[in-house]
Amino acid sequence: MQPTVYFVDDDAAVRDAIALLLSLKGFLSQVFSSAETFLETYRPEYRGCLLTDLRMPGMSGLDLQRTLLQRGISLPVVLLTAHGDVATTRAAMKSGAYDFLEKPVDDEVLVDVLRSAIAHDAERHSNVVEVARTTERLERLTPRERDVVKLLAEGLQNREIAERLGISPRTVEVYKARLMDKLDCRNLADVLRLMSRVEP
Amino acid sequence: MSTIASRLFPAPTSATARIVLAAIYAFSYVALDWISYFQPILKLGITPWNPQAGLTFAYLLWVGPRWGLVTAAAAFTAELLVRGAPANPLLLVMSSLWIAGCYAGAAAVLGAQVANRATLGLLPAVKFAAIAVLASLLVASGYVALFVAGHALPGAAAAGGVLRYWVGDVNGILMLTPLLLYLRQGGRGFAALSGRWPEVLAQLATLALFVWLLFGIDVSDDRLRFFYPLFVPVIWIAVRWGALGALVAALAIQLGIAIALHDAVTEAPLIDLQILMLSLELTGLLLGAVVTERASALHRLAAGEAELRAVLSAAPDAVITADPVGTLRTGNLAANQLFGMDSEVAAVSLHQLLPGLQLDTDNSRRTLTATRLDGGQFPADVAWVSLDPPAHPGWLLIVRDATERLRAQNEAQERDRVMARAMRFAVAGELASSLAHELNQPITALVSYLRASQIMAAAGSDADDRLAGTLTKASNEAIRAAQVLHRLRDFYQGSTSPSARADVLQCCASVVELLGNRPQKQGVQLSIESPVAVPAVQADRIQVEMVLHNLISNALDALSATEAGKVLVTVSKDSGRVLIGVHDSGTGVSEDALPQLFEPFNTTKPDGMGLGLAISRNLVRANGGDLLYRRSSRLGGACFEMQLDAAPRNTTSPQSGEA
Repeated sequence: MQPTVYFVDDDAAVRDAIALLLSLKGFLSQVFSSAETFLETYRPEYRGCLLTDLRMPGMSGLDLQRTLLQRGISLPVVLLTAHGDVATTRAAMKSGAYDFLEKPVDDEVLVDVLRSAIAHDAERHSNVVEVARTTERLERLTPRERDVVKLLAEGLQNREIAERLGISPRTVEVYKARLMDKLDCRNLADVLRLMSRVEP
Repeated sequence: MSTIASRLFPAPTSATARIVLAAIYAFSYVALDWISYFQPILKLGITPWNPQAGLTFAYLLWVGPRWGLVTAAAAFTAELLVRGAPANPLLLVMSSLWIAGCYAGAAAVLGAQVANRATLGLLPAVKFAAIAVLASLLVASGYVALFVAGHALPGAAAAGGVLRYWVGDVNGILMLTPLLLYLRQGGRGFAALSGRWPEVLAQLATLALFVWLLFGIDVSDDRLRFFYPLFVPVIWIAVRWGALGALVAALAIQLGIAIALHDAVTEAPLIDLQILMLSLELTGLLLGAVVTERASALHRLAAGEAELRAVLSAAPDAVITADPVGTLRTGNLAANQLFGMDSEVAAVSLHQLLPGLQLDTDNSRRTLTATRLDGGQFPADVAWVSLDPPAHPGWLLIVRDATERLRAQNEAQERDRVMARAMRFAVAGELASSLAHELNQPITALVSYLRASQIMAAAGSDADDRLAGTLTKASNEAIRAAQVLHRLRDFYQGSTSPSARADVLQCCASVVELLGNRPQKQGVQLSIESPVAVPAVQADRIQVEMVLHNLISNALDALSATEAGKVLVTVSKDSGRVLIGVHDSGTGVSEDALPQLFEPFNTTKPDGMGLGLAISRNLVRANGGDLLYRRSSRLGGACFEMQLDAAPRNTTSPQSGEA
């Protein structure tokens, strides 16, 4: 799915103008006249970022951002605020909004913020893909091999691992070679990097 | 004294007591009849002095006319015992019943209330005497008629008999009944005797002297002329002791006469004497009653005056009387204190104390500057009336120091001004904010369109570069318009000071004061319900008052069509917050109106702007609190609840700070 700017605003003229501007700046965009419509239409494949007005009848931008958070949707949210909504903006940033922009918005700033939000989303997404791949690889290991790789990740030496698991250091060597092969790692450093992605 | 008397003459409450009393009465009746039985006509009970009649009347007034049968029995017994059945028993029974019936009827007509007051006032005295005269006339004529009809009395003696009997009974009643009724009531007057013995002795001596003159000097037929001097001591006593004293004196004279004449055989002087006695008693009774009435009127007057004096001296306001030209006549304690006068007010003039005062109407009030005797000045509320006869002509003035009142008035006005200003500011702020938001949207669209146009113009490469320049200028202008709006909004938002403290109860009190009599005018009962101590809230006092004023005003507006509405303000604590609820007994907010309730320019009032609730919520939120609507659980109508953070303890609060 192409990264898209999902834009929510109750004012038709603002929707039209911003959408036009975004298309001229080379963004894909999709507009919604209310937070409720966006939530109804949302699909998990959505990539890019959400740009929403703060002050709307019915569900406000802040409400929308909180709802996304509750539903575990991690699409970055950029809020469009009227000038001076300091308290609301502070609350939004506290609960994890990506950024906020004041209306009327400067197009350069808008473009910068949206690009960085989309990049943030992409990076987060690639991380997710990476973790999924690693997890899949780890699942190929036997239980014994998994014990060994865990202790390796904790920084133990072959001899210590052998003692802990009650096997000989030679056997540890054999497991190590086999799991490195399965995990597609050339050396210990690769193993540690891979583990750090799934562990924390 | 009264306790002894009530022990001697207990009220006959039980049946036994009544019977004992009846027996005592009957015995006394017979005894008195026996004692006073002299100079009769033909051994009949026709004698010129009948104390038993007085006893009977008193008895029947006391226990009630129903006990007349006891009288009949006593009278019949007396006929048998004292006179040894002088006539046909049937005649005696009838005459006894007649006597009892007449007196019972008289007692019923007169009533104990009036009889008890017979010595205290002229009107009851006259009533009492008149009924006594009439009743005994009836008794006498009936009695004599019965005996004449029964041939026990010759017809020729009838007129004389009636007169004799009548005089005897009236005598007995006038003399004894008031005395006996008085004794029964407690006889409180005896205590007064103790301090006045010399006078009492002098009066007794005079009485004794004149009685002795009457009988002691043997001047045969003309002795009655010595009776007249007896009026002197009796009138003296009546004037000094009232009717009772006069009646006691009459009793004493009567006893003297009885003793003196006990063995006398002549008959004429006694009936003449008794007529004179009757005059003496009537004079004493009526004169004494008038004297007593006067005395008690004077006493009441004196008591009233003493009370008035006490009221004046305790009055917090200065009360002054002055003569027509303005020289002070009297001044109460407060007047002395207010003007710094000692109790000597005579030399002071009104023009000195109240220089600007023009006593141009009979009755008015004014606020002006007053001057103390030491020269100090103060504002004073002055009210006056002119004094007209029977008072001494002049002026009565009431003066109150108005310093405090004027200060409070100024303070209230100042508070109103501050509140009104704050309210105007809030309205302007809300307008600016709404305007800023509403205009910001088209400006945003405009700026974006212009930017888009710029990009498109730049893409059409060979276009006139003036187009790009113009579009840049246009979008800059649009942005400038937005900045103007921003500044306007900033101006009003910067005015809040969220660090202030406000005492909620004080806010409630001053809002109620500000509303004045509006709730009463509307017939709405406005009450405040709160714990004794409520923590201060972290909010601006004026803003809390504004919101509260707005909410209560809304509640009153909502109740304007209903009768006997109620508005209740509740204050409560809830974990670090203070909740102020404004409840009303109206219909509440309709389901449809709920979503837009706090939106600006949304109103149900014909002349409203629809900013009140929007401003109120913004003000409360600017102070870190919130304003919510729900249906009132207390009064069934609307409830707006203001939630505010309690202020941290002991910060800059002089009252709660520890030394």
